[in-house]
Amino acid sequence: MSNTLRLYLTCIRNTLDAAMCLQNFPCQEVERHNKPEVELKTSSELLLNPVLICRNEAEKCLIETSINSLRISLKVKQADELENILTKKFLRFLSMRAEAFQVLRRKPVQGYDISFLVTNYHCEDMQKHKLIDFIVQFMEDIDKEISELKMSVNTRGRLVATEFLKQFM
Amino acid sequence: MACLERASPALKRILLKLYRENKSIEIDHHLYEFGSVEYHIQSSTSDTHYTYLSVSTPLLSQGVILPNGISQYTKQMVKGICPDVVEIMEPAKEGYQITLRLDLSKIPNGKDSIKVIADISAVQAVILSSQLKEMLMNVSSQDTFQGMYKTIKLVYHPREPFFIVRQPQKILAVFPIRFKDKTDVIIATAFFQELMDVGSSEKWAKAPPCCWSPIPPPELRGEPFEDLSTNGGFVSFDISSRHVKGKRLDKTVWSLLNFYAYVKYHVKSTRSFIQRRMRKRLQRLVEVLQKRSMQEEEKEEEEEGNHKVQGCMFMRKMINVSKPKVLKRRYNDLSGKIKRIRSRIKIQGFGRFRRRWLKMPKFSSSLGYTKLD
Repeated sequence: MSNTLRLYLTCIRNTLDAAMCLQNFPCQEVERHNKPEVELKTSSELLLNPVLICRNEAEKCLIETSINSLRISLKVKQADELENILTKKFLRFLSMRAEAFQVLRRKPVQGYDISFLVTNYHCEDMQKHKLIDFIVQFMEDIDKEISELKMSVNTRGRLVATEFLKQFM
Repeated sequence: MACLERASPALKRILLKLYRENKSIEIDHHLYEFGSVEYHIQSSTSDTHYTYLSVSTPLLSQGVILPNGISQYTKQMVKGICPDVVEIMEPAKEGYQITLRLDLSKIPNGKDSIKVIADISAVQAVILSSQLKEMLMNVSSQDTFQGMYKTIKLVYHPREPFFIVRQPQKILAVFPIRFKDKTDVIIATAFFQELMDVGSSEKWAKAPPCCWSPIPPPELRGEPFEDLSTNGGFVSFDISSRHVKGKRLDKTVWSLLNFYAYVKYHVKSTRSFIQRRMRKRLQRLVEVLQKRSMQEEEKEEEEEGNHKVQGCMFMRKMINVSKPKVLKRRYNDLSGKIKRIRSRIKIQGFGRFRRRWLKMPKFSSSLGYTKLD
């Protein structure tokens, strides 16, 4: 892992650690309802200041916190067109199967590639540090997967090109 | 475009079946391939010698449909597949470009028979290749217009025309690339860049140099705008004389005819590869999460168990019950259980039912006595 990536991920980990102190809080607008305040944003007193962590222009992480929920939005680097479509395809693929991840949001926040929504119930069901580990691991894996996919597509292309040129020999 | 394999697998299978059956069998099959190629195979018990094969295929044209259909050169090439076995019928069956009369009994026995049948099954490929060969031969290198060499636009599929430019030293084949989906364009572009890289390496110096550019090459100046508007750029191959000598001509022509199909096949298989890989990755990611939650549950259970033990110990310490008292309590519990097991089963209302219906009748006898109150 590169040094800048380690710093970036450590910063996210520490911020998440600080932000993930969620508690059960019923909705103030509707009786007997319990909704993630970070999504509704009905009461400003229940929201904390959002934190934006940027590695560079293309890679950033937005952490929005409220009393009972936390939203993490990620923007993954896309160096060229191939990386761009691979990232979009892969993250869309994951978002469509969001139920498998429990904390993954079906639609990313505007301007970001993927979003997570963690509620106090998730924190109660799963251990907090494990949840943070999962999100950081997910970020690492996505980067790695996109790079590997790109390399595989190029390698396949090279092999196919070789086979095509062989026909002329 | 043409397909990657020359011989039609279905046609080959039917011809092999006909060949292996010594006696003639009744067959009347229509086969369709790639939506536009049609084969009609006819064999009857009344005509024991011959099998008739009619082929209808879109022809490679220079934008204009030939009035006579298949040219003489193409017919010669088809006849040349196996002159003893294949005979071209004149005129061809209605709705088909060519009708062949096959005498399968003249096919030599042994391993050659399969080769001959495979060659006959590749009749459509022969028609297509020979058309391009003929066009290349007919174009004179002297055909120039204002210093520019004449460009031939070849159309097999209406949406996939390609261009051949004959120059003194070489032939330039230019393929405008169009895709409906942006993803396909990007995958194809990555492939073309690899093709250029591989082609420019020393190992492949003998292969025709390949070039990809997003703008049309200067040789296509003057061509209609709709032919030059693409989203995947232009791929061009410089075919030199060494690539069209002898047997290589056939390979080169077939490779050029198949280029679109080749690229499309690569794009399609790359897309499925990406999908497969994403699916695998999803499984691994989910496994990590599930493993974690399972570990957490186990830990929680363990912790809960530990707490219970600790709690019991704590309570025991607090209550501090003596041993005889504990034994007495256990004895009482046990005896109570036994009593419960041995006691009669009580059914509500059963007593009344018994008194009413299960009462034994009283018999009065002379010898008997009655109780005096």
